[in-house]
Amino acid sequence: MSISQRSISQSKPPRSNSPHRTGFVMNASFEEKSVWIQLISLLVGLGLYSVVAGSMLYSGINVLVAFVGPFVAAVLLIVAVNVGGHMAVAIASRPDGRDERDRLISWRAESNSSWILAVGILTAITCMIVSVGEVWVAHLLLLSLFIAEITKDIVKLVYYRRGI
Amino acid sequence: MARTDTHIHNRIRTLRFHHGEMTQQELADEVGVTRQTVNAVEGGKYAPSLEVAFRIAAVFDVPLEEVFQYEPES
Repeated sequence: MSISQRSISQSKPPRSNSPHRTGFVMNASFEEKSVWIQLISLLVGLGLYSVVAGSMLYSGINVLVAFVGPFVAAVLLIVAVNVGGHMAVAIASRPDGRDERDRLISWRAESNSSWILAVGILTAITCMIVSVGEVWVAHLLLLSLFIAEITKDIVKLVYYRRGI
Repeated sequence: MARTDTHIHNRIRTLRFHHGEMTQQELADEVGVTRQTVNAVEGGKYAPSLEVAFRIAAVFDVPLEEVFQYEPES
């Protein structure tokens, strides 16, 4: 039905269709769903890696090469969850591209979380100066990257839900 | 992070109603943004760029100030 064919049966416009009155999943844009997928994939992949690496460090393994296998597996898991999630969302709903609001949210989230990675890098450099083991330095860098990405995704979701 | 409702009020919902109950998706398609952005602008959760504001006004064929009004904090 075209716009001109519709009859206006009410004298006052109805209330705006807000996110609180419609389904959350249906109301979210493709970009917002993409952020959720990235967040879940990071939590799953690096969460599992943290458990494995933590137990390895606890059992006294201090050779960096030993952590390569679990790390590669974690990265592959992240990629698989991302690809699978995005495919499912693209099939379920029409991808609507990025607009100016998505770009602004992305920039602001990046700006609000990038300091975490900077702090991690500076701390890692300090650790190297005082001769902390390479395994710990590598995991400090990984942890700061992990927390910065998680924070970025959470900030994006807050902006999407509460406004910017 | 504080709630970020803008001080820019708008009459988009009313204008959509008076344009044959135009849907948010139809407006979004004409303006070139996502439906969620139209929803955010309409709900006062996002202040659009000047260009998008002009595009919205152009869709309704009204001056910008008939769509958006700025109310500074008192």
